[in-house]
Amino acid sequence: MMRIIKETNINFIGQRRFSFILSGLLAALGLTAFIMIIIGEANLGIDFTGGAEVIGSFDRSVTVDEVRDALAVVGHGRAKIQSISGEGFENSFIIRLQGRIESAIPETTYTEEGKMIVSMVAVEGDKLGDLLKQAINDHFTDNKFTLDSTNNISSRVGERLTRDAIKAIVFALLGILIYIWIRFDFRFGVAATIATFHDVLAVLGIYFILNREISLLVVTALLTLAGYSLTDTVVVFDRIRENLKQFRKRSDYASTINTSINEVLSRTVVTSVTTIMVVLTILVFGGEVLFDFALALALGIVIGTYSSVFVASPVIVEWEKRAPRRLK
Amino acid sequence: MRRGQITWLFAIATAVIVSFVLLYPTVEFYSQDREALKIDNPKDFYSLKKKALRLGLDLQGGVHIVLQVSDPRGGSVSADIQDQVLEKIRIRVDKYGIAEPEIVKSGTDQIVVDLPGFTDIDTAKTLIGSTAQLQFHLLRSPEECQNLLQAIDSVLAIKLAGPGDESELAEAEAVPKSDTAEEAITSLFGEEVIDTSQEVLDEEDFAKSHPFSAILDRWLGNWWQITMENFYQAQQYLEMPEIQEVIPSNYKLAWGTRPVKGGDRRFQTLYILNRNIELTGESLVSAKETYDQLRQPVVNFELDSDGARRFSRVTGQHIEENLAIVIDDRVESAPVIQSRISKNGQITMGGDATISDAYLLAILLKAGALPADVEILQSTVVGPALGQDSINRGKQASMIGLILVMVFMAIYYKFSGIIADIALSLNILFVLAFMVIPGVNATLTMPGIAGLILTVGIMVDSNVLIFERIREELRTGKTIRAAIDAGYDRALLTIIDSHVTTLITALFLFIFGSGPIRGFAVTLSVGVFLSLFTALFITKVIFDMRKKYKSLSI
Repeated sequence: MMRIIKETNINFIGQRRFSFILSGLLAALGLTAFIMIIIGEANLGIDFTGGAEVIGSFDRSVTVDEVRDALAVVGHGRAKIQSISGEGFENSFIIRLQGRIESAIPETTYTEEGKMIVSMVAVEGDKLGDLLKQAINDHFTDNKFTLDSTNNISSRVGERLTRDAIKAIVFALLGILIYIWIRFDFRFGVAATIATFHDVLAVLGIYFILNREISLLVVTALLTLAGYSLTDTVVVFDRIRENLKQFRKRSDYASTINTSINEVLSRTVVTSVTTIMVVLTILVFGGEVLFDFALALALGIVIGTYSSVFVASPVIVEWEKRAPRRLK
Repeated sequence: MRRGQITWLFAIATAVIVSFVLLYPTVEFYSQDREALKIDNPKDFYSLKKKALRLGLDLQGGVHIVLQVSDPRGGSVSADIQDQVLEKIRIRVDKYGIAEPEIVKSGTDQIVVDLPGFTDIDTAKTLIGSTAQLQFHLLRSPEECQNLLQAIDSVLAIKLAGPGDESELAEAEAVPKSDTAEEAITSLFGEEVIDTSQEVLDEEDFAKSHPFSAILDRWLGNWWQITMENFYQAQQYLEMPEIQEVIPSNYKLAWGTRPVKGGDRRFQTLYILNRNIELTGESLVSAKETYDQLRQPVVNFELDSDGARRFSRVTGQHIEENLAIVIDDRVESAPVIQSRISKNGQITMGGDATISDAYLLAILLKAGALPADVEILQSTVVGPALGQDSINRGKQASMIGLILVMVFMAIYYKFSGIIADIALSLNILFVLAFMVIPGVNATLTMPGIAGLILTVGIMVDSNVLIFERIREELRTGKTIRAAIDAGYDRALLTIIDSHVTTLITALFLFIFGSGPIRGFAVTLSVGVFLSLFTALFITKVIFDMRKKYKSLSI
């Protein structure tokens, strides 16, 4: 029998002071990120803000800076430009531009030599992509730029997506709380919801710190990991419930819970290993489209595993300590 | 083996065979040269494609457009209007010959159009996003246009000079400020005639006193041409409220549909029209693209009797004048009326129009104008190469992920791990087969592939739970048979509980998500749901094939 984890008796619950501090920090980070999103300071994807994304390739190799120069002519030198590669995709770039301005008023400036520069700084999302394409074609006259994909989104689409994303998150968390409440009891339901919230906030916070773009796919990943992290929590809770049936003395409460965590520890680790293995393959081989999605999931799996051991169960212990229930 | 066992094995074998049958068209379709088949035998192509696994736009390439429908009179759009717009767009798309379009309502005032395999985004935008309101306008006379130009110049000169510069401009500004636009024009007329051929003013002074004329490239009677570099500048000037005031209310300024080439430069044309509409597209009964005698693309149209009467009167009265053909406030062209036209007319295509532009216009005119204003909120195009790249990456990632997990399970749980691996393979087979069941017809997207890969991780979790439980039971000294049974028994509820939470989140992702996200929700939930069957049931059947175990490799 091959075993990663031998029979253990680690005092997880005893570490709760340390884990509460760490988790508090992670959650605070996540809340900060959440506030930043609301006031519009976070790095949101064009799905939410409106804007344009252009993927295309040049005949000959071009640097990111050269592309930036071409876009600067039309006043978009601050666009996010990323070089990508793949089979049949040499000299390819993703150019992302966020825009939430509604009207099309061009701005005109003059250079010292009197050359006029017209910049369409204020264009509705739908026309931004065309503008970028034109600017690049005008700049690289002897190096053909072929578009592989464009995506123009009006900020009004973003408003709707944001509403839908918030609805999905709220309803999913409520649904989960109710399910755990029915299957276990209220305390377990609350503890599981806290742990889930914690995981989502932590990943959001890390994304914010890394200044990675929060796109619709990342939000999808956050919801998915909410579901996944609960799987872990439920497995631990299930064992706690089973072991509490033999629960006799109140002083044993914490140690019963600790034993339960230890008993399912090898399952927790093995499942995390297999899941993270597949997520890492998406991360490495899935390409640009899925990278941020997979990264959020990978972070979520690590944090979700941690929280089912170090957050959800200690919450129950603390609750029991403060408001003991009568022994059956 | 007991009889019950044989029945179960038979059931599993049937499920596997059915899955292979369901997936056969998919393999056949995607393993051959689809482009060649499409040309050689379109009927086979589409019947096979219908049975094959449907790929999302992100994987097979195509155009995705979100259209906002709004009532020009303001207020909310009725469901009836939304339906009518959808129907018109469907007619246009069908007539243009785009196969398998997906046109659906979204919310109460949006329409989403997916055109899989179609990647000409500009055509798609015109085809779907045009109101296609056809109007015929006469042009204002060259004198009137000249007056308007002077009025614009003088107002703009004052505006651009700013309040502090009035004295400097007094010379150039020959026009006294007048209260109404009409007055401005009359007072201008005759007082100062700009003669551009004589370079009396040096260029800089001219630009200062005639800022609008200065950015125009050519004056051609009742239309003006502007180079592309000055196009945005001109638009900006014309949008100024002061300039808007100078334009008389019975005038209408409209840009040409597409730029015109002249040498190595490109020009935009600004037409000065009579605001009065002589005829609209409602009188049209048919439209067809063709070439005229000069091999230029044109659209021939036929009018109904009422329209023919009105058209005949207008063209009869204005021979030798220009008639502008205006589509959605853009002038397609403004040919000179040669003779009276009644029933059959011809639209000359302006700019560098090709026959496909004429074809597109004919379709728009035939389908008729939309009963509401539309605006494109989102337009996405994914090229087939990018889609193919995504497929390749998805395939690679799933194969590697699957192999890694399978190898891990086989090493960690030995023989039992291999049983889990069999269940895992069957799970993926069943998920894919489920997606092509007629009536289900789910769409596989790139996030959907991620969902499928994630299912692999989640599915083995069920077997990990069971195996770990069996190991625990073995440690308590149970016989192998009893340990297996107890392992499955005890793990059952845990597995169900833990998967329900994933299903809850997937459900809400499906309800509130769109396009690719839905694809993810579908593969994830189908995968998790079917894994209950494969991980619990199929592995148990395999374990139960032997009644007594002397030793268990786990």
